[in-house]
Amino acid sequence: MKFISKIVLITAIVLSPAISNGQYCNYFHSKYCQPSENDMFKLNGQSKSALFSKGQTSELNIIVYKGQDYRISLCMDENLGSQIQFKIYETKKVKVEKVFETKTEEDEYKPCGDCNGEGMMDGESCYTCEGEGQTATGETIEVVDKETKIVTEKRKELLYDNSQDGFSTEIEFTVESTRRLTIEVTVPGGGSGGGKSKGKMMKSSDMGCVGLLVEHMTTPISGFKGTGF
Amino acid sequence: MKKQIKLAATLLMATPLVLLTSCGGDEPVEEVVEEVVEEVVEERNEEYYQIPSPDEMFGFIKESGLKFNGELLNDIQASSSYTEPTKQAMNFGIYSADLAYTAAYEEFNETTKYFGTIQKMAEPIGISSAFDKTLIERAQSNLDNADSLVAITNTSYFAVVDYLDQNQQGDKLGIIAASGWLETVYIVANTANYDNDKAAIDRLADQRLTLDNLIDYFAKYEERAEVKEIAGWLNELEAVFAVSENESEESGSGISFKKKDDGKMVLGGSSESKSSSISKDQFEAIKSKVNEIRNKIISTEEA
Repeated sequence: MKFISKIVLITAIVLSPAISNGQYCNYFHSKYCQPSENDMFKLNGQSKSALFSKGQTSELNIIVYKGQDYRISLCMDENLGSQIQFKIYETKKVKVEKVFETKTEEDEYKPCGDCNGEGMMDGESCYTCEGEGQTATGETIEVVDKETKIVTEKRKELLYDNSQDGFSTEIEFTVESTRRLTIEVTVPGGGSGGGKSKGKMMKSSDMGCVGLLVEHMTTPISGFKGTGF
Repeated sequence: MKKQIKLAATLLMATPLVLLTSCGGDEPVEEVVEEVVEEVVEERNEEYYQIPSPDEMFGFIKESGLKFNGELLNDIQASSSYTEPTKQAMNFGIYSADLAYTAAYEEFNETTKYFGTIQKMAEPIGISSAFDKTLIERAQSNLDNADSLVAITNTSYFAVVDYLDQNQQGDKLGIIAASGWLETVYIVANTANYDNDKAAIDRLADQRLTLDNLIDYFAKYEERAEVKEIAGWLNELEAVFAVSENESEESGSGISFKKKDDGKMVLGGSSESKSSSISKDQFEAIKSKVNEIRNKIISTEEA
């Protein structure tokens, strides 16, 4: 029994750094995502693999350049199912005008004119202010200051949703102007919490690797302007 | 990350069960290993920010006709002068971009030197494991093959990125990627002629989007002293790029995926005709700021 315990301990020591370092899904996209049959496509360094649990959503922000064709394909461990959703958004930083309100408590003042210009004002009593200036009533009031500032906000606009395309696991496109895209990947399941559940029990069968392979090439020029034959 | 630890815990819990099963007696007994992790799992949605690798830029500028300028490379003699860890990581990024530049332009002698330099620098940075024996042997036997060399320099770059990413050294990865990116922008800005190289200038203007990704990436590590300096420089650079932004504030971009007659999907739309380029003054301002930052990075401690 002691011998077995030693084996268990040694196995644990040997296995733990490798797995806890997250290398479980390392290179998953290069190993398991089917590359394009078109040899012109090259592996793009923005490809990524990660460990997902059922119900989890993650986002990958990439840049796609004008004049390039891109192919984005998805591959996953079988236990995660085949209906993994991926959406593509355009992400932009936009400048917007925002009104900021600051609330402060200030002393309340009354115009001396309230005592018909006679006498002076002290609280409710007027003395010799001759109807000019102000005097504190002893009360406070809430004053709201509004300031308009230009701030930068991140905006996302949905461009593609594979659930509207038969849960296709790949998309190929030409880029006409450089864009910053967010690829949102959601693994279905994981209960009613939809990825936001906390404190639930997790099985390893509820987890698996997802790879996102990005490939690119210079957009081919067709017609007589192109390479020609 | 938490989930990865959960998986490790799961496998470690499963291991003793498997071992104990195998010692159960003469009769082969099949047991189902139930992998339940007795831990509370807090799920968190992750956001990743990717930076195009230097070869993508250099492949493009080569195609667009820009000539190679070896004077822009950081001198490899300086590599041993970088002794402070953050500076080493920054210059590893600079040399990695220089390696990609020489490989893209088939400057084989230079490529050999720069490959050797980053390989040497990888050790003090703690990423020498990313350069395995096979990779080095492949590089040495393909030093006169342009396509293979580009592929190998890419492989080494991706190996470093993966190694740091998988070993939770995201801050170091950010420093290397940002410095590598700055070097590509430095090379393009100092090679392109504003009046004659429109494609390269447009690509330079587009770098504000990559810069956005870098800045968002660093937000995760803003408390780390090592990244503060470079993150600050990127913010300064963003202010220079921001002058060129004329985005509509409230309206959407109007872009979409459209299917062409030949079935090809195109990402374009109403704003595709809008020039993303920059004025000559903006180009000079970007160039000047990038040169200033790059000089800070490559300066040796003695200087």
